[in-house]
Amino acid sequence: MTDDFSRCSRCETPLETGDLRCAICGQAAPARAPVVRDVAVRLLRCGGCGAAVEYDPAVQAPRCAFCGEVLRVEAIEDPPERIEFFLPFTADADAARAGLGGWFRSLGFFHPRNLASQARLQALQPLWWVAWVFDAQADITWTADSNLGAGRSDWAPHAGRTPLLYDNILVSASRGLTLAETSTLSGTYDLATAGPRPSGAESATVEQFDVQRSLARRRIVEAIDGIATAQVAGRFCPGTKHRNVHVAVLLRALTTRRVAFPAWVMAYRYRDRPYRAVVSGQDAACIRADAPLSWARIAAVGLAAATALGGILAAILHSL
Amino acid sequence: MLHAVPVAATAIPAAITVACRECGATLEFAPELRTARCPYCASTSIVERPPSRDRPRPTFVVGFVLDKEHAEDALRRWTRSRWFAHSGYARAAIDAMRGVYVPTYLYGAVAHAAWSASIGEDYTETETYTTTENGHSVTHTRTVTKTEWRDLSGEHACYLTDVVVTASRGVPNEELEAIEPFDLRALRRYDPAMLSGWIAEEPSRTLEECIAFAHDEAVRGIDEMLGRFMPGDSHRDLRFVPRLENQVVDLLLLPLWSFAVRYAPGKPPVRVLVNGQTGKAHGKVPRSFWKITGTIALGLGLLALLAWSLGLFSG
Repeated sequence: MTDDFSRCSRCETPLETGDLRCAICGQAAPARAPVVRDVAVRLLRCGGCGAAVEYDPAVQAPRCAFCGEVLRVEAIEDPPERIEFFLPFTADADAARAGLGGWFRSLGFFHPRNLASQARLQALQPLWWVAWVFDAQADITWTADSNLGAGRSDWAPHAGRTPLLYDNILVSASRGLTLAETSTLSGTYDLATAGPRPSGAESATVEQFDVQRSLARRRIVEAIDGIATAQVAGRFCPGTKHRNVHVAVLLRALTTRRVAFPAWVMAYRYRDRPYRAVVSGQDAACIRADAPLSWARIAAVGLAAATALGGILAAILHSL
Repeated sequence: MLHAVPVAATAIPAAITVACRECGATLEFAPELRTARCPYCASTSIVERPPSRDRPRPTFVVGFVLDKEHAEDALRRWTRSRWFAHSGYARAAIDAMRGVYVPTYLYGAVAHAAWSASIGEDYTETETYTTTENGHSVTHTRTVTKTEWRDLSGEHACYLTDVVVTASRGVPNEELEAIEPFDLRALRRYDPAMLSGWIAEEPSRTLEECIAFAHDEAVRGIDEMLGRFMPGDSHRDLRFVPRLENQVVDLLLLPLWSFAVRYAPGKPPVRVLVNGQTGKAHGKVPRSFWKITGTIALGLGLLALLAWSLGLFSG
C-alpha cells in the first residue's frame, strides 16, 4: 500500500489519506485534537484581512465575507483510483505468438484442422489491465436452502458460520478485458514481481481505474460478498443443490492494492472473420480466445451418431 | 468498549461571561451553547470547554447546505403538501427561525445475534375434490401449495454503522429520525470554524440515555437484517438475542433549521424542523376538522352513488 498511514483500531483495515472513518466498520480515524483543559473563547478571523469568518452554506466552508477567502476544513477525500504497482511483461511478443500457435494446435476435433496454418494474425497489442488485489479475514455467517434433509418439500433450511482467509484475491476493474478473460489470466501472475513502474513493453497501453475510491471500495466489498456466497453454496452448505444463499460478512484487515497486470491482446482472422485472443504477459501458455468451429465436422459427427442410433433401434425392433 | 468518550467527571458548566474579542461588549455563553453572537457587532465567538463524559469534544460536523432562503422554501413546500392541515397552515407566518448545529451521536458496533426461527419450505400436492355438476357428483384434481415448517437456529454477525441518535433535549429522537437521513459522505472533521456565525448546542442528554436510543435503533436494524437473512419461502417466530460489541460513539453536530410557525391568531406556534442538508421537514401539523369531515363525507357519498348505480344496472 502506498497511502496507508495507520490502521483502524477496531477492524485493522488500513486507513488512507483523506479517510475520516474506516470504510469497513465506520470507526473514526484518529485525529490529534487539541487538549482543552480550561475554558477558551475564540473568535475566528480571516488570515488574509483579519475580518471575522463565518461558515457559508454556499461554499459549504468557513469564508471571509470581506475578502472571500475560504478556510479549508478536513473533509472526506474521494480521489480517483490510481495504479500503485505494475507487474512486468515476462512473456514477449514472440512468446505470445507462439503461445497462440500452440493453442490453435491444442484445439479439439470440432475446430478446423487448418486453423493454425490459415489464421492470420492482424494485431498484437501489449496492455496493462487493472484490478484490485485484496487480502482479508472474514467471519461468515450464512443461511441457505439445500436438498440435503429435504422432506415433503424439495428444500431444507441450513445455517452455519465459518471463518475464512482471503489472500491475494483479484477483482477486475478492466473495461478492455471481459470477466472471463481476466479470470482465466489471473492465475498466471506472480505478485512478487510487482514494481512501482511499468516494464517489459514500451508501447503498452495502460488502462486506468476510472472510478473514485469510494466506489472502488463498494465494488470490492460486493465482490467479497459474491465470493462468500459462491463458497457457501459450493463448499460449506451441505447437499448438491442450493437456493436462497444469504451471507453476512464481518471483515477484518481488508488490505487492497491497485495493480496493473500485463497481457497481450491479439486479433486474428480466419476465412474473413475476425477473432480475438488474450495471452497472459507472464505466461504465454495461458490464453483465452475465441476460435471458429468446424460445422462440417459437427454435422458429420451428428450424422454418424444419428445413423448409429438408428441402426441400434432397427436392430432392437428386428429382434422383437 | 466505548470509544471517544473522555472519562472526566461530568459537570454542568455554568454560564460564561467574557468581553467580545471584536468590540469589547459583554458576551454571555449559555451553558447549553458552544457559540454566542455579540448583540453589538454581530461577531460569533466559540467557546471550548474541557470535555466530560456527557459533553465530549465533537468528532465530526456536517455543514449547512441550505441557507435561510432555501430553508424557507423547503418549509413552504412542506406546509403546502399537508393535505389535512389547518387551512391557515399554507399561509402560516414564520414567527422565528434559526439554524442550529444539533448535537447527536454517531454510533457503531459489531452486531452479533443468536437467532432461531421456523422456516417455511413450500411444496405442491395434487389433491382430489368432488363437486356436483348437473345433479351428478364429479371428481376433479387440483394442485395446492403447502408449507412444511422446520426449526432452524444460527448466528449472524456484521458491522452496524451510521446509527445517528439525538443528544439534545430540544430535539426528541423521533423528530430527528423523521428528518433523517443525513448524507454522511459530507462529514467534516470537527473544526470550530464550521460553527462560526451559527448557533451550536452542547449535548444536553446523558451518554447512557443516548446509547439506549442507539441500542433500540441497532436492535431494530438487526431485526430487519435477520428478516432478509432467513432462508426458505417464508419464516415465522423469529427470535434473536443481540450482542453489541466494540461499540463506538462519536459526537456529531448536524445542521438543522428550526421554525416557529403561527397558523391562526390565538393559537400557539407550531415547531417545524428542516434538515439543513437535504431540506426534509417534519412538524406536528394541526389537523383541520372540516377538511377531514368533508373528505369522509365525500368518500361516503361516492360509495353511495356507486352502490346506487350498480343497483340500477343490475335491477
